[in-house]
Parts: sequence; C-alpha cells; structure tokens
Amino acid sequence: MESVSTARISGNMIANYVGQNVMVVGKVTQLRGETATIDANGQVHALLSRDSHLMAGNGAQIIGKVLPDLSIKVLQAMDLGNNVGMYNKGGVTASAIQLNTPLSLPE
Amino acid sequence: MSAYGGYSTTSYGAAGGEDGGGFFGGSQFGGSQGAKAVNEESLRPVTIKQIIDAEPAYAGEASFRIDGLDVKQVTFVGMVRSISPQTTNITYRLDDGTGIIEVKQWLDADKQEESRPAFREEEYVRVWGRLKSFSNKRHVGAHVIKPVKDFNEVNYHLLEAVYVHLFFTKGAPGGGSGGGGGNTTNGGANSVGGARDDSDSMFVDGGDDNSNARSLEAKVQGYSAKARKMFEYLNCAPNSGAEGHHINMIASGSGMSVGDVNEAADELLGHGTIYTTLDDETFAILDGY
Repeated sequence: MESVSTARISGNMIANYVGQNVMVVGKVTQLRGETATIDANGQVHALLSRDSHLMAGNGAQIIGKVLPDLSIKVLQAMDLGNNVGMYNKGGVTASAIQLNTPLSLPE
Repeated sequence: MSAYGGYSTTSYGAAGGEDGGGFFGGSQFGGSQGAKAVNEESLRPVTIKQIIDAEPAYAGEASFRIDGLDVKQVTFVGMVRSISPQTTNITYRLDDGTGIIEVKQWLDADKQEESRPAFREEEYVRVWGRLKSFSNKRHVGAHVIKPVKDFNEVNYHLLEAVYVHLFFTKGAPGGGSGGGGGNTTNGGANSVGGARDDSDSMFVDGGDDNSNARSLEAKVQGYSAKARKMFEYLNCAPNSGAEGHHINMIASGSGMSVGDVNEAADELLGHGTIYTTLDDETFAILDGY
C-alpha cells in the first residue's frame, strides 16, 4: 500500500513497534505536565505535544511514534470524554484485532 | 436527501428483489448452494485490512472474497486522513489502525450542498459502501458516510468485525450466547482480556468438531418447546440428508402428535430454520448459511 497505516495496538504490544507510528486507545491515569500515563490493556507512557489537551480520568486516543524506551512521542492526541464504556476496551479491542491477524497488521 | 436517497434505494432495492425480500429467500431454491448468492449482498462489518487483503473472486469483476465468502457490501469505521474534492466525487483516505483505503463518494450535480463534507480530517466516520476495483486499485464506493459521534462505535465496530470474522472461520459461539449480538461481542472482548495467550478460545469454547452442532442449537433459542423438540429430532436423526424427514416419522420419532409437529414446522419454516423437501410434509434443516 501507498502509505503505512498507524497500527492500532494495546499497551502490552508496544515492544514490537519500536520506531513505528501507532494508535493507542485507553484511559488517562496520570497527567503530569507534558507526560501522561495511559492504561490500554498495559501501561503506556506518552510524551505529549504542546497542543494535546488530555484530561486525567478520561478516555484518550493517541497517535505517535514508539521510542526505544517504549514511551510514545505523541503526534496527535484526542480526548474521548468520560463516556467511553470501559476505557480499557480500547486496548482490548486492539488486542482482539491483532490476535486475528487477517483483520490487522502482520506482527 | 431525495436525490441521494434515490441512489441508495436503487442499489438496496435491487438487492432486496434478488433475495425475494428475505434473508433466506434465495436458499429456498438451491438449498445450501443458494446461500452464497444471498451472502454476497449482505452487509458485512470489516476492518480496512480485510478490504485490502480481500481476494478478487473472478478476474476483471468487482467481486471479492473475505474468509472465503463473497463480499460486496461492507461497513467500516475509520479516521479521515485526507479529503480531496474532485469534480465528480470526493475521495477520502480512511485509516482504522489496520490499513488505509480510498473511499469515493460520488456527487450529485443537482445537489450543491453535498459537495461539502460534513466532517473534517482527523475525525472518525462510518462508511457503508460497496467494494470496487478500478485499474487494479481498490476502493470503496460509499453509499453513506456519517461522522462517528460516539467513540464507542469505533471499538464496537472493530469487535463486531472480529466477531463476524470468527463466526465465519470458526463457527458460531457456543451455547448461551444466542441472544443479542452486542452481548456476545462484549463477552468476547472480556474473554480476550482474560485469556490473552489463548487466542483460539476467544469465542468458540470447546472442541471445534462440535461447533456446527452448537451453532445449530443456538439458532433455536427462543423458539417454542415444540419447535425446539422437532429441531432437535431433525438435527440428531440419522441420515438427515437432503431428502429430510416425513412428518409422520418426526411425530413418532420425537413422541409428538402430528398436529404438534405441524405447529412446530410452521414456526421453524417461518424462521427459515427448516425447509420442505420432497413434498409439503417432509422437512430438513436449512444449514447452508
């Protein structure tokens, strides 16, 4: 394909995606200045960009690059509000499609 | 909306006509063989990766197969990566985290306001459309594109795509899940989280050999006791081949009166679970779909 899609992953898969762009959906558990911790079926450490407006306790989707220390350099962040049923599902959803490789990217 | 509605009515209306107005209509004629033609026009939830990987069924024709099944109509969600308005259509590039696909929405020259999309880049949308191939490039011709208002729809859709994929590749989920698809999907999600290393057991618990019989049993959940009894008999009866079983055999074999069997047969026929074979009093299970 022309340009590469950002793989939808959960927190526990992050080690397989170093250097690639990924998409993570989860719950913001901690927000400290320019870093956030996101629970997406596994903890993800995110280095936020200046214009990302996440809220602790809300659901969030981040798109960014996985750094060698397994944190994510965020390119785009989206606040999903507090109405996303069981935030962890985002991560679980990613797990579900990844486990069924015909539906998702090859590992 | 009226001109727009005309377009989708044509396409859906034609599909309905072929099907004889019902999901099982086509199967009545050809038995299990007829199921393919019906499935082709049914709307399937997919991930974009599945669209990209769909194998062309016949050379030069806009027909594709996913998991070995012909697929034409699909629905999926994706994030809008780019919007490029053209003279005759708007081309979107959508990304759902599994792949990127082009989606074309054809413009109606009479309707000016349609040329302005109701959503922007970096927003999620849901697409209903038809798989197309043009000079070896795959795209989706959209009937409808709607912005996703509730993010839950993204997760819900992806899980539904997983569910349908597993349904076709591994059979229906085991007993106790004959209810709403939503519940089934949620249950599946939970089991993914719980048993992550054991991907094979996501929806189908127990042996795979059994899955066909289980799915048949799941189908009659919610039917009357008589209908279930008759179905059970047909399901378990020896050499229940294409000829099926006569009403008298069913009555004596299942210990019901002929009248009860008749009632049960009416119900099962109404659901499309069984069909008549040699004559109006001989029945077999419709398991072709």
